[in-house]
Amino acid sequence: MAANSRTLEIKVISAENLKLDRKSVKKNASVTVRTDTNSQFCTTDIDTEGGAYPRWNEKLVLDLPTHSKSIIVEVHCKTSSGVRTIGTATVPASDFVGEYVPEGYLHFLSYRLRNHKGERNGIINISVRMKVPEMYACASSTTWSHSTMGFPAAGNKSFGGGVVTGVPVWYGAYQKNY
Amino acid sequence: MGGCFSDVRGGKEAVGGDLPRPTEPNANNDGAHNDAIEFFYRAHGAYPLFTQLELSFSASKLLDLDVTSKSDPMVVVYLKKNDGKLEELGRTEVILNNLNPVWIQKVSAAYQFETVQNLIFRVYDVDTQYHNVPVKTLNLRDQEFLGEGSCVLSEIVTKQNRSLTLTLKGKNGHGGLRNFGTLTVHAEETIASRSAVEIKFRCAHLDNKDLFSKSDPFLRISRTVETGGSIPICKTEVVDNNLNPTWKPLCLNMQQFGSKDNPLVIECFDFNSDGNHILIGKLQKSIADLEKLFKEKSGVNFFIPSSRAGHEKVLKGQLFVDQFCEKEQFSFVDYISSGFELNFMVAVDFTGSNGDPRKPESLHYIDPYGRLNSYQQAITEVGQVIQFYDADKSFPAWGFGGRTANGTVSHCFNLNGNASESEVVGVEGIMAAYANALRNVALSGPTLFGQVVNRAAEIAARSLSSNNNKYYVLLIITDGILTDLQETKDALVRASNLPLSILIVGVGNADFKQMEILDADNGQRLESSTGRIATRDIVQFVPMRDVQSGQISVVQGLLEELPGQFLSYMRSMDIKPLTFNAAAQASPALEIL
Repeated sequence: MAANSRTLEIKVISAENLKLDRKSVKKNASVTVRTDTNSQFCTTDIDTEGGAYPRWNEKLVLDLPTHSKSIIVEVHCKTSSGVRTIGTATVPASDFVGEYVPEGYLHFLSYRLRNHKGERNGIINISVRMKVPEMYACASSTTWSHSTMGFPAAGNKSFGGGVVTGVPVWYGAYQKNY
Repeated sequence: MGGCFSDVRGGKEAVGGDLPRPTEPNANNDGAHNDAIEFFYRAHGAYPLFTQLELSFSASKLLDLDVTSKSDPMVVVYLKKNDGKLEELGRTEVILNNLNPVWIQKVSAAYQFETVQNLIFRVYDVDTQYHNVPVKTLNLRDQEFLGEGSCVLSEIVTKQNRSLTLTLKGKNGHGGLRNFGTLTVHAEETIASRSAVEIKFRCAHLDNKDLFSKSDPFLRISRTVETGGSIPICKTEVVDNNLNPTWKPLCLNMQQFGSKDNPLVIECFDFNSDGNHILIGKLQKSIADLEKLFKEKSGVNFFIPSSRAGHEKVLKGQLFVDQFCEKEQFSFVDYISSGFELNFMVAVDFTGSNGDPRKPESLHYIDPYGRLNSYQQAITEVGQVIQFYDADKSFPAWGFGGRTANGTVSHCFNLNGNASESEVVGVEGIMAAYANALRNVALSGPTLFGQVVNRAAEIAARSLSSNNNKYYVLLIITDGILTDLQETKDALVRASNLPLSILIVGVGNADFKQMEILDADNGQRLESSTGRIATRDIVQFVPMRDVQSGQISVVQGLLEELPGQFLSYMRSMDIKPLTFNAAAQASPALEIL
């Protein structure tokens, strides 16, 4: 039974080489992340110091409906004349819901931003992780803590060659409807 | 591209303050290398490319060659060079009257990931008087030979507790009926500590040193040395036109700054593209002082030094610490010895431009006298190093651009001719499959990497479901120019956030300039056709040229980067070395020929 939405943990890390009207952005950049169905959106704080290379390192949480195909990332700048959009990037769901990569994998992703004219305007760096759905609550506490998950309980002489015990139940069990 | 202009952008980059290369030398200077030279290179941002290891020894059931007492054994360690000559690395002390000795004296060995380091250990019974005589001066010809063992240094490092037990043999490997006993070698990294600090600096009210604009400040941090001078350990990037700059966080390893109380000199300069950077101000603080500044959220003033002591001019400009965080940094050896693996995969170019394999001019010509062609050389050089880090030595091997038995051109076919399984065993297995494929697959074209990269990415991604201690290395050997650069870029971008590194070796005489774009060393991150940008630079490209004997191979240059790429992936994903329950495991005794 599939849930009708999945929770995404999106960390907005940084952006590079942002320009407004051909000039480098001085300050006050922020990022809005929203679903392509416009059902939800979240915004970071404003970065006052980074200028054209802002850093937020801020985690945003979005519920992505099952039928959603992408999330939209927009970079804005608060200027004296109001909030202006510097650039937008579309993150297809296929980039963080891979066929082979397990759910819960921390995807570090980067995208080209394009302004309203379609011109290239910088790069946005984010990380995306899908949270485990509530019904598999027994495994939901193990959000990819690497050092102890899924390794043989008893000693194995060969490294990684044998069958691994302790693989959480939800791997691959969830039907993807994308 | 030699030109008249310096690389100003390069000059503005941060140096030394990012995640240090995994192969940090020993700061304690055991005399194995020159302190001054090491500091010189570090100040210029270049790191010596090895990790210092200390080998310690114990043995059991040694031969008893003394008549009235037991043997007095000592170990001598040699490195076997490519030409077969032995270079002595060091000796242990002599232990009196003991067939099961545990030596105290350690021998230093520089661990170089990118080469196969053959070590020979010889145990001698010291018969001459060794009291008060430096062990180094003992003439081995006067001593009795007790046994010899050998192994490759990476074999020790990949062992779980970094210990390897060797069965000793007679000289020249002859065992005979005698039991020579065993020798156990244990390796430890000699790095002082695994601690590092990440600091984000900011300045306010800096003086303006530029005429028509504002200063372009950067910081240079130096460590004071005993003689009173200071050695630079890192510098930040340049922030243009800003008297209140914030720089990207610096990561300093304890090896770089010594101890938290060691005074550091922090200088702020105004960058000038002609190289004459003007000092804006300087100050002296230790890491502990900087931590205090962070906690109290206070600033400290810069000053201008003056020739008259006590008359330094205190400036308005201040330094703040906006972030201060201590981290634990594990080394490459930490991961490898805890059970992490490097898994090797190979893809060979079967396009027509290589030339008919039956003709001697062909890049695929297999010489009956055994001289390796460029493909075989690349496979051997990379495979021989990486095989030690791959637990099951089972390597997927593919060809691309060839017409297989069913008549169609494939851009990812199994080299072993098997329809479903792509894996072969050992470097010999790759060579055999390669030779076999040359007989059964017709060279065709065009040159496309995309499918092979996608296959490798798929394998790397799948492995994440069961564990995350595997890192994959794909070697692509090609003679030509890519037909579809964008498709390859797309595949590489999609693979860029997976535990995968791609080494591309160019053979033959083609103009490989296009391949250098894939390498992204000039800072241009790869961009896919969908607007996604590569998370990290996972590709390295090098053209293979004929190598004169004695020179370092260019392929080694590729391999040198691997530990760094491995570490940057593990650290960014916050993956730590595995902690096995060591008590439950016994180190298996290894029979070495």
